[in-house]
Amino acid sequence: MVTVEVVGEETREIDPETLGTDPTYADLVRAVDYSPHEVSVLVDDQPVPEDRAVDADYVRVLRLIKGG
Amino acid sequence: MSDLNLDPTQLDRYSRHIIMDDVGPEGQKALLDADVLVLGAGGLGSPIVQYLAAAGVGRLGIADDDVVERSNLQRQIVHADADVGRPKVESAAEFVAELNPDVTVDAHETRVTADNVDELLADYDFVVDGSDNFETRFLVNDACTLAGVPFTHGAIYRFEGQITSFTEGQPCYRCLFPEAPPAGEIPDCSEAGVLGVLPGTVGCIQATETVKWILQDAGLAPEADTLDGRMIFYDAMAMTFEDVPVQPDPDCPVCGDDPAISSVQDVEYVETCAIGAD
Repeated sequence: MVTVEVVGEETREIDPETLGTDPTYADLVRAVDYSPHEVSVLVDDQPVPEDRAVDADYVRVLRLIKGG
Repeated sequence: MSDLNLDPTQLDRYSRHIIMDDVGPEGQKALLDADVLVLGAGGLGSPIVQYLAAAGVGRLGIADDDVVERSNLQRQIVHADADVGRPKVESAAEFVAELNPDVTVDAHETRVTADNVDELLADYDFVVDGSDNFETRFLVNDACTLAGVPFTHGAIYRFEGQITSFTEGQPCYRCLFPEAPPAGEIPDCSEAGVLGVLPGTVGCIQATETVKWILQDAGLAPEADTLDGRMIFYDAMAMTFEDVPVQPDPDCPVCGDDPAISSVQDVEYVETCAIGAD
């Protein structure tokens, strides 16, 4: 299981096996109902490419906002 | 104190700063000598300008190409009803002049672009990004990072705010978000709405970061911890602040090990801010 914390929202547990073969962080993001374009994925506080295969058991998802 | 050239009126005006060990007359002098550029005179820019002017930041550049609309007045507190239709920089400069005669305002009634950003930044020690669009946010990040100009970033959405600061050697905005999302994917305040007091909280934190940077640059407030390497996520609905640590991205296109961007001319600063093919 991968724990996905969407900053400012709920934390969810996602089973990577439900995301197909060799799921990526983009797949993980879609599984928590976001587009990979609108978030950054952090593993151990480090941004990771969204096309990289999931290899962590805890990720933080930070949403992009633009208002000023 | 006399050798710091603070006159009696200034000693009175800034007395609550001056009595603090971490500010003192030296810190106040540093604030009066500082040159800070505020990008945007809207929701975030308003409290930023207001508090930096009150603190006695000696020279404030304010850049914005917009005019005041009535729908701005619910949150953009340096503008008043009589300012509707006026350039925001003009209204903001007038507000500062009435608040603190120690502050000189450079009003830049212009949109910040790749063609003028380097010239704009060249005159300032610190930049405060209170812009409301990705084009400016990525441009400011790239230009400041390449030029080594420290800056603080704020963004707002409905009940949420994000604040961080960037100095040399620390992660930049593109470490977190390498490129802007496709046009229209992220709603702005006019589409999604924003709580009127939200930019007040976020802008005040940006102003705080600015003042702390100026003090630290003067060798003061050594224990001050800034938002370099971390982002604050503020949820006004839950009334919570979450600290999100961020490490630099070695693959960052601006500050990474092999950066693709060496000049703002390498990037087409439209809604998506993609790196040019060449």
